[in-house]
Amino acid sequence: MMLAPAIMALILVSGSVSLMMLLASVFALQVVRHWDIHSGSERQLRLERQTYLISTLLVWTFVSELIALLLFIYNAEAMSGQFVGAMCATGVLNVNDWGWPDLYLKIAIFFAGSTWLILNHLDNQGYDYPLIRLKYRLMLLILPLVLAEFVVQLNYFLQMDPAVITSCCGALFSADAEGVAAEISGLAPRTSLWLLIGSGAGVFASGLHFVIRGRGGLLYALLALFSFISALVAIISFIALYIYEHPHHHCPFCILKSGYDYVGYLLYIPLFTATALALGCGAIAPWRHISSLSAAFEPLSHRLAWSSLALFLLFYAVAAWNVLGSNLVMQGVWW
Amino acid sequence: MKIELQNVKKAFNQGRSNELWAIRGVTTTLEPNRITCLKGASGSGKTTLLAMIGCLSRPTSGRIMLGERMLSGLPERFMTEFRRHTFGFIFQRLNLIPGLSTLDNIMLPAYPLAPRHHQLLASAQSLLEQFGITDKGNNPIEWLSGGEAQRVAICRALINNPQIIIADEPTANLDSRLSTEFMGLLERLRDLGKTVLITSHDPLVFDAPCIDRVIELRDGEIV
Repeated sequence: MMLAPAIMALILVSGSVSLMMLLASVFALQVVRHWDIHSGSERQLRLERQTYLISTLLVWTFVSELIALLLFIYNAEAMSGQFVGAMCATGVLNVNDWGWPDLYLKIAIFFAGSTWLILNHLDNQGYDYPLIRLKYRLMLLILPLVLAEFVVQLNYFLQMDPAVITSCCGALFSADAEGVAAEISGLAPRTSLWLLIGSGAGVFASGLHFVIRGRGGLLYALLALFSFISALVAIISFIALYIYEHPHHHCPFCILKSGYDYVGYLLYIPLFTATALALGCGAIAPWRHISSLSAAFEPLSHRLAWSSLALFLLFYAVAAWNVLGSNLVMQGVWW
Repeated sequence: MKIELQNVKKAFNQGRSNELWAIRGVTTTLEPNRITCLKGASGSGKTTLLAMIGCLSRPTSGRIMLGERMLSGLPERFMTEFRRHTFGFIFQRLNLIPGLSTLDNIMLPAYPLAPRHHQLLASAQSLLEQFGITDKGNNPIEWLSGGEAQRVAICRALINNPQIIIADEPTANLDSRLSTEFMGLLERLRDLGKTVLITSHDPLVFDAPCIDRVIELRDGEIV
């Protein structure tokens, strides 16, 4: 099983990313402790020369982590035929105790990494390295996540036992089961619909306010995060059910299957990207008044906010299209 | 704007057995709108120092300031941008490109800045006129005499209207007449409001009346 190309690729990415981050952390510690732009010391000039190399290394590191999340999900979905009881990625993630923690860590790294990439992009627009300490502090905070993810992922793949009978999505995402997934599955569709609409309205209002007034970036990021969670809840609670045209099938992974035209990817990719870009708006918002960034801030924040809003809109449009076009009719039951 | 050097040092092959400290702590201020000559024997560090001032290389330690702006700490892409706008270079061997016309040679350093072509052409022709070689614009560079080639090199250095002209041993391959003529051209640049930095170990250059200040370097230090 370890010799499957996708698993080898994921372990290779995770391993090399951990190694690169460890190497970069030595440099990051020096920057955090010794960076002084006013000094002409040998150490300061060496740090200035090295920062381009290290930040380029980190850019590719985080980009590969972003792609790895997609591959991880795709691989989990593709392996579902190899485990007894697994109908989709849920069963493969349930095959041992490491699957779900690995997914959560990968999602955390996705958002932390994309925020770092956006901060790094803004920092590179300033002639005096205005955010250098901040971005390397953030990198040091992400490092434990990356190392933990490497260990967890390695254990996940090493301890995969094809003889184990795993539980399928029907058992986990069921209103009758126990746990968070069951709680979400059991949530009244009407409640989650209002949550989705309310959070969506909040995102568009705060996003447009941020674009027009140039203020409220942090609020936009927080509301986007809330919308992201609301959207995941809504997918489990009722959107997926309309896609499956089945009133009791809550799985958020089966929608990634070819049988449903891979519509899950069309929901998740815009949703994750929109949230990541909105978090980037929040990350850069406090630094708009730094003089060396003032020229770069506005075009970047506009680009991020508009792209994020457009992707949120795409997510809501795809979700609405699937709900409204479904053959499942729940009037009088849910609505 | 004045150029300020604060304890600038430059080492090559640092930490290796062949480590060489080409500049060993230079602190000085170069006044604007002056012709300053860096004088010294071969290997004294003139070109290394000029390259650092012109943002072609970075110091190992120390700072170089242009007015209030720190040059030596700029990130690479800002340094490139700054170099293109602020400095014009005249090289020892002129480095004109054979196969291109005089006008094309002059316009070449402006291409990365992407100005409108008709404006660029007008600027290049105006420079040719200022330096009395209007009729050579369409000639291949190989057809020019030594004096004409030298003028083309100056025009090329001026095409982006830089504030500072850097000339590294520009008279090393010229005879006395051309060297004297070149110094006259530098004087014209100063009259145009430019700051000129020139390196030389030729008395015809550092003893020329137009030179405002001579800085002598020996073994990487100001004497």
